[in-house]
Amino acid sequence: MTDFVELDVRPVLRAGGEPFGQIMETVQGLAPGQGLRLFAPFKPTPLLQVLGSRGFAHEVTKLGESDWQVDFTPSASTGARTGADAPADLPRDGVWPAPVREMDNRNLDPPEPMVRILAATETMKKGEVLAALLCREPVFLFPELAKRGHGWRGAMESDGRTYRVLIRIGAGQDASK
Amino acid sequence: MPGASLSRWSLSYFAAAVVFLLAGQVLMVFGFGYPAAALRAPDTLLVVHCVTIGWLSLLMCGALFQFVPVLVVRPIYSNTLPLPALLLILAGLAALLASFLQLGGHLPVIPHCFAAASVLLGSGFGIVLWTLGRTLSAARPLNLPARFVAIGLCSVAATVTLGILFTLAFGGYTRAPFALELLGRGMPLHVIAGLGGWLTFTAIGVSHRLLSMFMLSPELDGASTQWTFRLGTLALAIVIIAGTVAVIARAGLNAVLVTAGLAGAGTLALYARDVVQLYRKRVRRVIELNSRMAGIALGHLAAAAVLTFACAVSGGFGQYGGALIFLVSFGWLSGLGLAKLYKVVAFITWLECYGPVLGKTPTPRVQDLVVEPRARTWFWLYFAAVDVGTVCLLARAPLVFRAAAAGMLLASAGIALELIRTRRLANVSPALRLPQGTRLPRLLFTFVAN
Repeated sequence: MTDFVELDVRPVLRAGGEPFGQIMETVQGLAPGQGLRLFAPFKPTPLLQVLGSRGFAHEVTKLGESDWQVDFTPSASTGARTGADAPADLPRDGVWPAPVREMDNRNLDPPEPMVRILAATETMKKGEVLAALLCREPVFLFPELAKRGHGWRGAMESDGRTYRVLIRIGAGQDASK
Repeated sequence: MPGASLSRWSLSYFAAAVVFLLAGQVLMVFGFGYPAAALRAPDTLLVVHCVTIGWLSLLMCGALFQFVPVLVVRPIYSNTLPLPALLLILAGLAALLASFLQLGGHLPVIPHCFAAASVLLGSGFGIVLWTLGRTLSAARPLNLPARFVAIGLCSVAATVTLGILFTLAFGGYTRAPFALELLGRGMPLHVIAGLGGWLTFTAIGVSHRLLSMFMLSPELDGASTQWTFRLGTLALAIVIIAGTVAVIARAGLNAVLVTAGLAGAGTLALYARDVVQLYRKRVRRVIELNSRMAGIALGHLAAAAVLTFACAVSGGFGQYGGALIFLVSFGWLSGLGLAKLYKVVAFITWLECYGPVLGKTPTPRVQDLVVEPRARTWFWLYFAAVDVGTVCLLARAPLVFRAAAAGMLLASAGIALELIRTRRLANVSPALRLPQGTRLPRLLFTFVAN
């Protein structure tokens, strides 16, 4: 039976905040064998990939219209990399830092969201993350990000109307699956 | 790679399409075909196929090669196959038009011209269907706009198959009773599958997404829009499947057409509701020329629905069928096509030229590639001429109709010149036109690096 540390990021997100850093801090602080029980207002698809790459299996339960519970369990075969058991020199490619810049591009005419995002990426440093909200999946942006060597993760939020994309400067294609 | 790239050959399709639009209008100006000739006369069939295959179908194919990947957020199955498909369709269309010229006595008899047209058009559209079908099937489960496109593709397959059967029966290649029955009575099925299924139903699906994208309206995928899709699919299935069975079984077609007509009317009513919602719920209050002109084209679709109803009630299809086909082809489909082409050419050109340097250097906006006030005049002239032309056909005034066709030709040529200016970046101020790292786009194809 896995012992879970609970984290509720719904209030932070509803207040317009970005809980990614807090989630990763909690993961770093997990004891060996401990899991994370996360409560969020939408299915956190990018996070499933991030923690999946660190050896966590997940189980998603929809509690209500905008209430989701996700149990992240350290996989016994791989040994999840928490702060306690991960060697210091282990590559941390799966972990993205909190965004240094947030943009809300939902009410801009196409292709203005793409123009603004690419302009922002040109001013950021390697490894930094940009978060942007859009009203649909930016299909023409992805090839351009790939050409410029940036990585991205994105998913439609549970309202079906907001697409949230995280872009990491110079992260190549490693995470853009 | 996820996402969508630019389609390499869509511009070639658009260019060929516009040439056929202008050619069709030139023929009308010179009084070739209907109304001077009968509706089923070879001369009329030549003009009709010049417009429906040469202009509307090539336009739709080019648009789908670019737009289907956007709809399903996946790359196109092949960015190369559209070129041989285009060449085959062009060769097949040339053979088909030559066949009609022979029938009309304008050309000496060339043996097997109809057969060549069948093979070439069948293979060309076959490649189109294969390319788009593979792209769609890789993206299942399909979203709603993509499902409209899938049914549109089934309809073009049916239209082309019926067309091939007509030519084989007509050319004496087959004496099979079902082919002769279809040749004798199947024409309405061919027309409805082509104009209604392939062109209109696909345009309805694509317009849901394009209108919502360019006016910042919420996506429509609720129950009402689901019913637009189901009812429309039902109407087309009734016409194409039940209609073909009825013709082959030598049964009456009226019951089939009335049932399909009712389902079709329901589809259009639901679509009208969707469109009104898209325009009313838009975030963007001041809309661009393409969305305004699409609205005018949608008004012509409504007018065509009313005219269809009036013909059905009064039994006037024989008398007013020509005017109805003209209104659907030029008021609705060509009007929408020209409006969206005006935006899409600017967008593709902008993305091709400035995409690589966005954010690195100042670049023009998409709207800097066009001069809307100039184009607006051409669009208004175009729709006014179409309306006059429709009235002339209803009122049997062939001479004034030719004057209206001249107005349409002038307006279409004006819009075509605007498209060329957009493609050549002629409207962009010289200081911004070609920043370092960019190159002038080619007129007839898109440079795609991959």
